[in-house]
Amino acid sequence: MKAEDVKVCVLRIEGTNCEDEMAYAFESVGATAEKVHLKQLTGQAPLEMRRSLEDYDILAFPGGFSAGDYIRAGAIFAARIRSAIGDDVKAFVEAEKPVLGVCNGFQILVELGLLPAKDGSIMDPVPTAALYNNDSARFECRPTLLRNDNNGKCVFTSSMKKKQVVMFPSAHGEGKLLSMDENFVQKLEDNDQVVFRYVAPEGEETKYPWNPNGSPSDIAGICNPAGNVMGLMPHPERVLTRFTHPDWTRGYETEEGDGILIFRSVMEKLLR
Amino acid sequence: MSVDRLMIKRDVPYQIYDVDVLSATDEELKELSAEMGLILALDEMKVIVDYFKKEGRNPTDIELQALGQAWSEHCCYKSSKNILKEFVFAIDHPDVLSRGDAGVMVFDDDYGYALRIESHNHPSAIEPYGGAATGIGGILRDVICMGAQPIGLVDPLCFGPIDTEKELPQGIKHPKYLTNGVVSGIRDYGNRMGIPTVSGGFFFDEKYTGNCLVNVGCLGIVKRDELAVNYAGGPGEVMILFGGNTGRDGIHGVTFASADLTSTSDEDSRGAVQLGDPITKEPTLHACLEVNKAGLITGMKDLGGGGLSCVIGEMALDAGCGADVDLEKVPLKEAGLAPWEIWVSESQERMMVTCKEENVEKILQIFEMWDVPATVVARTTDQPRTRIFWEGQPIFDMDLEFLTGGPVYNRPYVLPKVSTKANEKFPELPANNEVILKLLSDLNVASKEWAIRQYDHEVRAGTILRPMVGKMNMTGPGDATVLMPVQGRWKGLAAAVGCNPWFCEEDPYKGGMGCIDEACRNIIAVGARPHAFTDCLNFGNPEKPERLGEFREAVRGLGEICKKLKMPIPSGNVSLYNEAPGGIHILPTPMILGTGLIDDVRKAVSADFKEEGNLVFVVGKTLDEMAGSLLFRKFGGVEGDVPAVDVDNLIAPHGQDARSYGQVSGQSMPRLFRRRTRSGSLRDVHLRRHRSRYRPQGDGIPRDREETVLREQHQVDRRGQARERGRIPRDPR
Repeated sequence: MKAEDVKVCVLRIEGTNCEDEMAYAFESVGATAEKVHLKQLTGQAPLEMRRSLEDYDILAFPGGFSAGDYIRAGAIFAARIRSAIGDDVKAFVEAEKPVLGVCNGFQILVELGLLPAKDGSIMDPVPTAALYNNDSARFECRPTLLRNDNNGKCVFTSSMKKKQVVMFPSAHGEGKLLSMDENFVQKLEDNDQVVFRYVAPEGEETKYPWNPNGSPSDIAGICNPAGNVMGLMPHPERVLTRFTHPDWTRGYETEEGDGILIFRSVMEKLLR
Repeated sequence: MSVDRLMIKRDVPYQIYDVDVLSATDEELKELSAEMGLILALDEMKVIVDYFKKEGRNPTDIELQALGQAWSEHCCYKSSKNILKEFVFAIDHPDVLSRGDAGVMVFDDDYGYALRIESHNHPSAIEPYGGAATGIGGILRDVICMGAQPIGLVDPLCFGPIDTEKELPQGIKHPKYLTNGVVSGIRDYGNRMGIPTVSGGFFFDEKYTGNCLVNVGCLGIVKRDELAVNYAGGPGEVMILFGGNTGRDGIHGVTFASADLTSTSDEDSRGAVQLGDPITKEPTLHACLEVNKAGLITGMKDLGGGGLSCVIGEMALDAGCGADVDLEKVPLKEAGLAPWEIWVSESQERMMVTCKEENVEKILQIFEMWDVPATVVARTTDQPRTRIFWEGQPIFDMDLEFLTGGPVYNRPYVLPKVSTKANEKFPELPANNEVILKLLSDLNVASKEWAIRQYDHEVRAGTILRPMVGKMNMTGPGDATVLMPVQGRWKGLAAAVGCNPWFCEEDPYKGGMGCIDEACRNIIAVGARPHAFTDCLNFGNPEKPERLGEFREAVRGLGEICKKLKMPIPSGNVSLYNEAPGGIHILPTPMILGTGLIDDVRKAVSADFKEEGNLVFVVGKTLDEMAGSLLFRKFGGVEGDVPAVDVDNLIAPHGQDARSYGQVSGQSMPRLFRRRTRSGSLRDVHLRRHRSRYRPQGDGIPRDREETVLREQHQVDRRGQARERGRIPRDPR
């Protein structure tokens, strides 16, 4: 398989608004990305515009405010997917094809039951976690440092070093990962489902604003038990180049941005 | 007395009145204007009566309402047009690609960038959340209808002091409530649209307590061969209305904007505030750009002030034709709207395209794909008239020239008395530490991070320099924002606000120049070349000669400096009647959004101190010009000179080209630039120190110098002890 043969479906509805940079991110590692409206997958589009999910190799949910997020973030988009193409999505994940959700995309994956997903299950019939309002009760747009805490399961961090710290910016109002399950964090940990944790610069304690939302155990991103579905709140697609990092004018070593690692990892995995 | 006798209802199943103006007395005409909410003067009413005399009939209510909209200050600039003509309209530049709903300037060989700023003051004073949100919606539409993808929002705001404990006049809402509401409105609309809010500003002053200012600016990027026009291609074309439905929200918005606020505006004019819906707008944006890219449309325009009444007339008139409208086809939010309400409603998220008949189906299909309602409502004709039909029956038939012509006035003005050095009274100052702390804790100086971080300023992944700069989570405000509008190209667009209402109050002419100067210096400070401006001119009631005098002088200042700089103002907006109950007027507030170009964003410079041992320079002369300064305002200084703009120095410092700053930065020499602002160099040194954790020694206090460069090498005090041993400048004589 060549890089350009990797077909990426960047899925959107009204209010999805980070699809351009998400598609660009995949294109910049050589893949062929297409911005696809949900209606194109559900047969509600003119014939020549209809698409089938199984024709794609990667599914990406970009950030934004899908359908306005006037109820729980991501809930409306997730409900539409579940009712129209729930089985297709489940089959896609079952085939171990990579699925990425960033920000609102992460919220959608949790609402869909694809994350965190109980052991042995692909897509829980009801969500088992939620991304709750930030502790500050505000939308927070600020840079965040993330540490790769995954031990190798997640396909989106496979070419990152263990414990590597990267900067992906955050911009959300609801990013605090909560669950009714008291042992939630421990289970994620035991199952190697924790991917990213917010961290402070070396020597400092991780608290607000380094953890911008109050997420327990500073969790910023997780994957499913199989490691092919990852959701995270911060935006790797916004830092493909060093020059969109917040502090590049203070000096830099490479023109490459940290975010490219995510997209390169999954491509390397697919092309291996 | 009542004007009921003049209103003759037609015997039809919808609500339409013939209005017997031909037999009305002057008193009745005045009352009619007030009752119907037209805000037209008696003389204007009489011109209308004369027109209908010639037509040989009485007008209908919808015709009078259309005239009220078209002839409002907001729509026809009747008090400001001649002044703008005299000073700013004439400034031309080969880089101006369009002066449509937004101005469009050359970005590079393939792309142009759009810029526009406008006001949404009165709606925000009544309903801050909705007023601000729909302000964003409106300015986005102005940019979209040039065929441009919006890439950045800019929101400079003026409020009364948020900590005021004074009793507020009847009908006035507390500044803290307004500030919170407006910030939330901008956040929720801008973030939902996915357009980064990249610049702005906060100005706090008593004078804004009764009439806050909410100015909203937008930048966009458009391929030059996809640049759209805002008018039809000619007669025989189809007009398609799309986006939101039409309702009773936003009725009389423009006439509301063309009168002073009153103590009962809240109750009277609540209906003039529109309701925003970003999730209708977001797909509308995609659909607009798609139909334009596909070459299916001939023109595109947004429905802003005046709603359908303005958009249909203007799209037809600018194409040299007229229009026939089937008004009952307009999709409504609720049944039972009178035709005149439909015609003037300013419900949000609506736009209009014109196209050839053969493209209608293709266009409707694209809108259908995005779930955006779209309806054919009118056709252009070869007659210079607008005619409206309700189920085939004529209810409106007017000459377009007359309808959109509107009056233009040379209203009387008196030139403002300006502050001078001769009348200066230097304030008594307390101990230095107290002075410094007091200045730093002023609302106008204090950090605005709480607001800035609620706005997504980096969505679209093109923000190179953010509004906040410095070490992560140790940031302070930057000078200008730099965007990278086209993925894969390093060419950048810088944007910055220039505004100083206090200078303008003391001397509107110098203050007006100062606003442009500040925007330029902000842009130069990030290593970009100033390129163009867009202005939102917020002033008081133009029927008061003092207020018009302020307006005239400020505009003269703007115009003169732009002429000298050879930089155009390809778009702008005038907002008059910014007065609160009791006649308290705002400070004269010309709000400037400046843009600049930078060939390679990787050469941009940010304002934070970078490392120990760097030299700190002040570029430019520091003179004894204290009028309007924070020091004087805080400690009771009187008059003084307002800083004059040394245009020649701005253009050619030390005999070099204006771009010399840019050239220097191109060689990566300076680690930061910082222009002096509202509170001078003192605040700047503190801000930069905060951003970098380095603490300069030396006092950082500006002194009066003939030398252009302050050569103080700031050593770093690692123990973190700030050494405030500065002196405050005294009158040197």
